[in-house]
Amino acid sequence: MRRLRGIVCALALFPVPAVRGDLSAQAIAMNCLNCHASGQAAVSRLPELGRISTAELEQALLAFKYDRRNATLMPRLAKAYSDAELAAVAAYLGRH
Amino acid sequence: MRSVLSRRRFLTGCVGLGAGLLTGCSRWPLSDPAEPRVVVVGGGFAGATVAKYLKILDGGIRVTLVEAQSRYTTCPASNWLFAGMGDMERLSVDYQALRSRYGVEVVADTATALDLSRKRVQLQSGGAQAYDRLVLAPGIDFRWDVIAGYDAAAAERFPHAWKAGPQTLTLLRQVQAMPAGGVVLIAVPADPYRCPPGPYERASMMAFWLKQHKPRAKILILDAKRSFSKQALFEAGWAKHYGYGTPNSLIEWHSLADNPLLELHADSKILASEFGDRFTGDVLNIIPPQTAGSIARRSGLADAGGWCPVRPATAQSTFDEFVHVIGDAANYAPIPKSAFAANSEAKACAFAVVSLLREQPLAEAHWLNTCYSLVTPEHGISVAGVYKPDTGNTINSVSGAGGVSVGNNAEAERAEAEYAQIVYRNLVADSFA
Repeated sequence: MRRLRGIVCALALFPVPAVRGDLSAQAIAMNCLNCHASGQAAVSRLPELGRISTAELEQALLAFKYDRRNATLMPRLAKAYSDAELAAVAAYLGRH
Repeated sequence: MRSVLSRRRFLTGCVGLGAGLLTGCSRWPLSDPAEPRVVVVGGGFAGATVAKYLKILDGGIRVTLVEAQSRYTTCPASNWLFAGMGDMERLSVDYQALRSRYGVEVVADTATALDLSRKRVQLQSGGAQAYDRLVLAPGIDFRWDVIAGYDAAAAERFPHAWKAGPQTLTLLRQVQAMPAGGVVLIAVPADPYRCPPGPYERASMMAFWLKQHKPRAKILILDAKRSFSKQALFEAGWAKHYGYGTPNSLIEWHSLADNPLLELHADSKILASEFGDRFTGDVLNIIPPQTAGSIARRSGLADAGGWCPVRPATAQSTFDEFVHVIGDAANYAPIPKSAFAANSEAKACAFAVVSLLREQPLAEAHWLNTCYSLVTPEHGISVAGVYKPDTGNTINSVSGAGGVSVGNNAEAERAEAEYAQIVYRNLVADSFA
């Protein structure tokens, strides 16, 4: 839980990301938090992003996108992004 | 106040990242003489989220939220009460966390007028709030000029319950008190309106309760549209649980797209259509057509359709570049008017406001919407969309992504019912806590 609060707080520490890709990853990643993180969330079946490494996140997102992994919602969302965007989001979330 | 906030930000930021990035924290000004001011009008999902995320993205911005009510009752999950799930208390949130955790100034007042040329918000108390940028999130108002005889007073007796609150309970009690073989009419407006799947989830939740307590009852949905959100999923669920398509169905859906409802005869509880059809029921749940909240319309920020046009990439009003409009009041079509979308619009808006105030490059906006609905407490369905700005002033739904639930099996239905409830709690927390 503290780790998730960390994600939210850490978003603030990069007001001027060095490259546009980072900015874009941050903008996408903030939408992950609607479901996957909060300061108040109780026990949840949804994976806590803060506990997953960058490599695992990237692997999962790509597996959802290419229908190698089943889920009710994520395959529908992951298909909206390029592989590079998913990698950048995974890197962003894994870093914070 | 300023230094307390900055100190808090400094500490939480460093705790989150560890000591290795201490130098990064030093970029954060402990007291910034040039403290830009953002005023947010309206404390629903859009307003609360933008206030919170503005402070997260840039603690040096002074953020004031103007909201008359001390607590907010969420529309999401309010339909679930009709199935006996939860209570009003659990739909209620306050603004304490925005204040204490993020340093948002919350002003309990009503914005009565906007002075756009002087960049000031006039308040009912007589005071005013000056802004560098204004974020308007006033939600919806109801149009009382479409169905003759249906106005704010009539809505107390025939509740719309389309802003969660006392009318939700009125409607609930009416359904519980109606005769065993009673009829509930649900009148649904044409697009666009708040929460496109909401009326059908409401019918589902009422049917769930009626099936147990008044199985001879009937719900008639009178729809101004030809089709509706998640229609195939709702109809399949209604067939599975409520006899939809049989003479004994608990739910009937009728499109009145060519024969709109024009008049309410309150004394006889009759809704009359253009061609003279007369519909009556024991309970009339009339959801009227809607517009942007009145402060937006009175300030000249809405168009002829009653909604606020925006440049999607920054949420700036097309009428005033220093005003941003988000949430249900704004026209973000094809993004639906949902709390989830309002949260997403608010985050993109917070990004844009910070970039504009700090003269930094704009991030590309990314919006996401996921709407869960319950057909029964253990059968959930969803529709999702991912959206990006087009090169012009339009929004594209990303093709090949989004769409409705797939794999109609009991396991997926149960999982989505559970996700609906988890995501509701997380969305409320992400917006208000």
